[in-house]
Amino acid sequence: MFDRPQAAASSSVDDGPSRVHIGGPPLRAGLERALAGAVAWRERARASKTTDAWLLHVPDVGPTCEVLLADRLFHDLRPAERDGLLAFVRGSQADSGAWLDAHGEPDLSLTTLGWWVLRDAGDDPRSEPMLRAQRVVHQLGGAQRANFSVRLWLAMGGQIPWTWLPAIPSELFLLPPHVLLSPSRFSPWARGMLTPYFVIARAPARLQLPDATALLLPHNDGQPMAPRLTRPGLAGDLLQAFDRTVKLARKLPRGPLPRLATRRALAFIDEHQQGHGGWFSVRPTLLSLVALRVMGATSSDARLRRGLDHLRRGRGRARIPQGRGAGEVALAQGIAGPSLDVHGRLLACGPTEPELAWLLRQELTLRGPWQARADAATGGFPFESGATHHLDVDGTCTVLHTLASLPEVAGPTPGFTTAIWATSRRALDVLLAMQEPDGRFSRFERGESDVLMQQLPWTDADLLAHGRTDDDEHVRTSARVLATLSAAGFRIDDDRMARGLRWLEHTLGPRMHEHVTTGRLSTVAALAEALGPLTPTSHPLRRELEQRLRVRQHEDGGFGPIVDTAHALQAMLALGLHDVQTQRAAAWLATRAMRDRDGELASWSQPVDRGLGLSPAGFDPSAGPRETAIALQAYLATKP
Amino acid sequence: MSTTDPIVTTEPAARGAVTEAPLRHARYDVVIVGAGLAGCATARALALADRFARRRVLVVDRYRDVHPRFSGELIHPRGAQILDDLGLFSALHGVGGIEVGGFAVFEHADAPFVDLSYADVPRERPRGLSIHHKELVRTLRRELRATPRGSAEGIELLEGWAVADLLRHGDRIRGVVLEGKGGQRASVHADLVIAADGKGSTVRKLAGISDEGRETIGFTAGVELRGASLPRPGYAHVFLGAWGPVLAYPILRQADGTIRTRVTFDLPRELPVKGPALKQHLLRSYVPFVPAPLSAEIAAAVMAHRGPLEMAPTVNLPAPSAAMPGLVLVGDAAGCSHPITASGMTMGLRDAETLGLQAKRRADAPDGEPWLDAESLRRYRAEHDRYVPTRQALADAIYEAFRGGEDGSRAIRRALFDYWGSGGTARRRSMALLSCSERRPHVFLTEYIKTARHALETSLVPQHASMYPVGDRVRRARGAAKLARNKLGLVAAVMWAQVRPAWLTRIESR
Repeated sequence: MFDRPQAAASSSVDDGPSRVHIGGPPLRAGLERALAGAVAWRERARASKTTDAWLLHVPDVGPTCEVLLADRLFHDLRPAERDGLLAFVRGSQADSGAWLDAHGEPDLSLTTLGWWVLRDAGDDPRSEPMLRAQRVVHQLGGAQRANFSVRLWLAMGGQIPWTWLPAIPSELFLLPPHVLLSPSRFSPWARGMLTPYFVIARAPARLQLPDATALLLPHNDGQPMAPRLTRPGLAGDLLQAFDRTVKLARKLPRGPLPRLATRRALAFIDEHQQGHGGWFSVRPTLLSLVALRVMGATSSDARLRRGLDHLRRGRGRARIPQGRGAGEVALAQGIAGPSLDVHGRLLACGPTEPELAWLLRQELTLRGPWQARADAATGGFPFESGATHHLDVDGTCTVLHTLASLPEVAGPTPGFTTAIWATSRRALDVLLAMQEPDGRFSRFERGESDVLMQQLPWTDADLLAHGRTDDDEHVRTSARVLATLSAAGFRIDDDRMARGLRWLEHTLGPRMHEHVTTGRLSTVAALAEALGPLTPTSHPLRRELEQRLRVRQHEDGGFGPIVDTAHALQAMLALGLHDVQTQRAAAWLATRAMRDRDGELASWSQPVDRGLGLSPAGFDPSAGPRETAIALQAYLATKP
Repeated sequence: MSTTDPIVTTEPAARGAVTEAPLRHARYDVVIVGAGLAGCATARALALADRFARRRVLVVDRYRDVHPRFSGELIHPRGAQILDDLGLFSALHGVGGIEVGGFAVFEHADAPFVDLSYADVPRERPRGLSIHHKELVRTLRRELRATPRGSAEGIELLEGWAVADLLRHGDRIRGVVLEGKGGQRASVHADLVIAADGKGSTVRKLAGISDEGRETIGFTAGVELRGASLPRPGYAHVFLGAWGPVLAYPILRQADGTIRTRVTFDLPRELPVKGPALKQHLLRSYVPFVPAPLSAEIAAAVMAHRGPLEMAPTVNLPAPSAAMPGLVLVGDAAGCSHPITASGMTMGLRDAETLGLQAKRRADAPDGEPWLDAESLRRYRAEHDRYVPTRQALADAIYEAFRGGEDGSRAIRRALFDYWGSGGTARRRSMALLSCSERRPHVFLTEYIKTARHALETSLVPQHASMYPVGDRVRRARGAAKLARNKLGLVAAVMWAQVRPAWLTRIESR
């Protein structure tokens, strides 16, 4: 695929000091450079030792901090690991004292966690960085206003009362799974968090952690202000009253109900430990391990060992993306295990047969909770490698895309090809089964965004569902599924495809500005890949997408950062555009790829929302070379 | 029976071209246009019916050898029996035709197949016949030439001549004007013209018979494999899951024992890609839905195929009036549907058989009277109109269900497999209908009702999901009910075709 005959240079683009001949050697050289970068990242992520492997998705300091806090209970971290993780936390602190989210904004929850972890590590709370962090926490409303996860840790550490967390009535866990209020109707991440939370709160657990009351904003009388658990308004007040009633009722004798509910929650935790040892992702894993521990599991318990090993595999080296130590290398805890979405796209840049065999082995073979509402046989791919229970539609699309490109890329042996086809068939069935009645596609489970209890005015209600039904992630996921299905031969005359397209039209139509004009170009690329094969060039949505995409191009030919330009080029190619704007984008990419001298391409890292649950955004260090390689490959393959 | 050596000068052509054709007569009892399966079988049936050896039959075809495009190759037992009755079966079997035991239908590549066996159908041959189309036509033409001389004049076969016009006398068709490759023309008078020139019939157009309702459904692309690993050897296979069904069936046993297998891909009318990219499209969008190791063999055959793939349009042509004064339509010219039920050739053979019966009834018709008179044509049409609607209704419904383009059709597809899985009786009854062996109206109605009931049941009960949303169940059931309701008209038409009194049939003139 990479040794196609060079096309004659037909035009050139002036790009500052260098002139790039379209289709000539610079493009090819840029592609080779990007491919080399992508392959290097593949190898970095594959290193056998945790301390040598690199993370392909670098989250904020949240997971790292929580692992450090939980180690008070597990005593599992090796000194080198602890030091590496602490270096990541310290290096990520901004000069202002805050810890920033992936978009560069000071974050109350992260700052609370960061301060607490450093305090636990022995940092002097009167030191300047710690005082600054404390001030930031107070400015942002105090630790009591941090997110649910942080408040849970504060409660476990005895820093705030358990009443500052929302109550879960025991009866919920005894409801049959099809009942709307049952926890099985929550999104998988929420289920993974709230089930161990219910067990822990019932215990209740207490970890030996340093005093963090300095982070709580006090009243004038010196007593910390209790947070409001519900939103303002009558409904919120009523719910707050209900919450108090539940908590009060806990003190009354209620027979065997709480015990039965706890038993069922523990059974859920047992059943949902995946093949790789973890639960849905890192936070549910941590909480599940804590729940098992507080319910009596010893440190030699196999479930605990497997879970801790999974957490260890989820760690890796990372270049600190922002903060005082930006650019330094430290050890960070990933938000989940190695992501198949990223691995799959890296493999699209020239895979080897062993790598493909590894990819095929990641297919789901066990019945999972996603099949409760999706009528498909087992198949598809999880979010992280080695997972056995949870489907990820995004990852499945990526793997299918990679596998579909094989006959040209790798030319595997016939037996291998039929195995790929069998896997693809199952995965396609799974994708189709993940369609909601309105036409959109869910990412992890059907109904993940239609949680009834999310409608209640809890301040933490957003936890219960996987985003909104019309948010960027669902738009991108739906577009990716439509593109994947269309690449497999499904056409608009299939009612499922037509329904999906109608949903896109309906959702995007009034919100083109949000999703396309100012939205992420990765989403625009996914939309273009869906609309390109499914709609005629005169289709209004397609035309508007094209126009808005064109407007985003800068004078130099790029679309901003290199990853954005790569996505934009992919989008233009998917729309069948081969005009001068496309040529200039390709030339810009190739030039940038050649200019970059740092193999790790730190400047190419971009924040991406590829995470789970709270503060999902992170940095994808392999995105630059990977997406550049994919875009330039596609450009050279389709150049007229 | 006879070759076309003598040169006979006939009437001057309208355009004043050279008017000579290699014919022995200027007048025939019957002219059959099209020397494919239906034409050759009809000629043979007429020859066998001419027990007093008085009739002259001319068979004309525009191609000297065979039609260059691939066509039907599978014949159900009912058709195989007719071939046997016409004395053609052994010849076809002898040149490599393969007896097929039925159909193996795969709902998807990972599922066990449903065995729809001919042997289960009572009072029918246990096997059908499958043969490479070109070999089939060559053999039939060879047999036609060697037909035992039952009549004094026998059958004449004229190859390389096309029909340019029809000769008329009032409303009645009296013959054809033939045109050779060099533009020369010849007028041939006949008491009866039989159009057996396929779905794009020129004669039908010249006669002014409306093509109303004709619809190009899509295209069929085909490749040939040698020694393919069919999951059920000796059976035709249907693989579902891709955009359209993939069919695979043996077509020829070679002298060295190797079996040649035809694989066809059902493509949409608007081809997603054309030219060489079509191979890649088949590899990505069709071949993966075939179980291994056959899929790998198909992929290798597609890749190794040189030049453009063989393709033919799939056409739905609601049966036009099959007879008018002086003209009869047989085979695909008399209506065709999607080849999914592989019933086209069997229908052509039934047409030949029916005409043969009428010819036998009129074998002793006095000179000066047409061999096949108006009453014969009316009887032919009455009979033809009974079995053709069933075939078309079934092909239409099965294709829609197998395509599975919408909720309702997917529900029907699921229901069909569920129904077939319910027992041998269900499979036997379905197979009897599909193989054109069953025509009792109550059986058709019963099968329709049972499938509709299964569709509703399977829509409401998911296969894998434990908490399948009620809304999805209702949507699927509603889709199935809507489709079943839409097919009610078709069912009624089929039922009426079976019970309609024969005297209602009239031969209209145009």
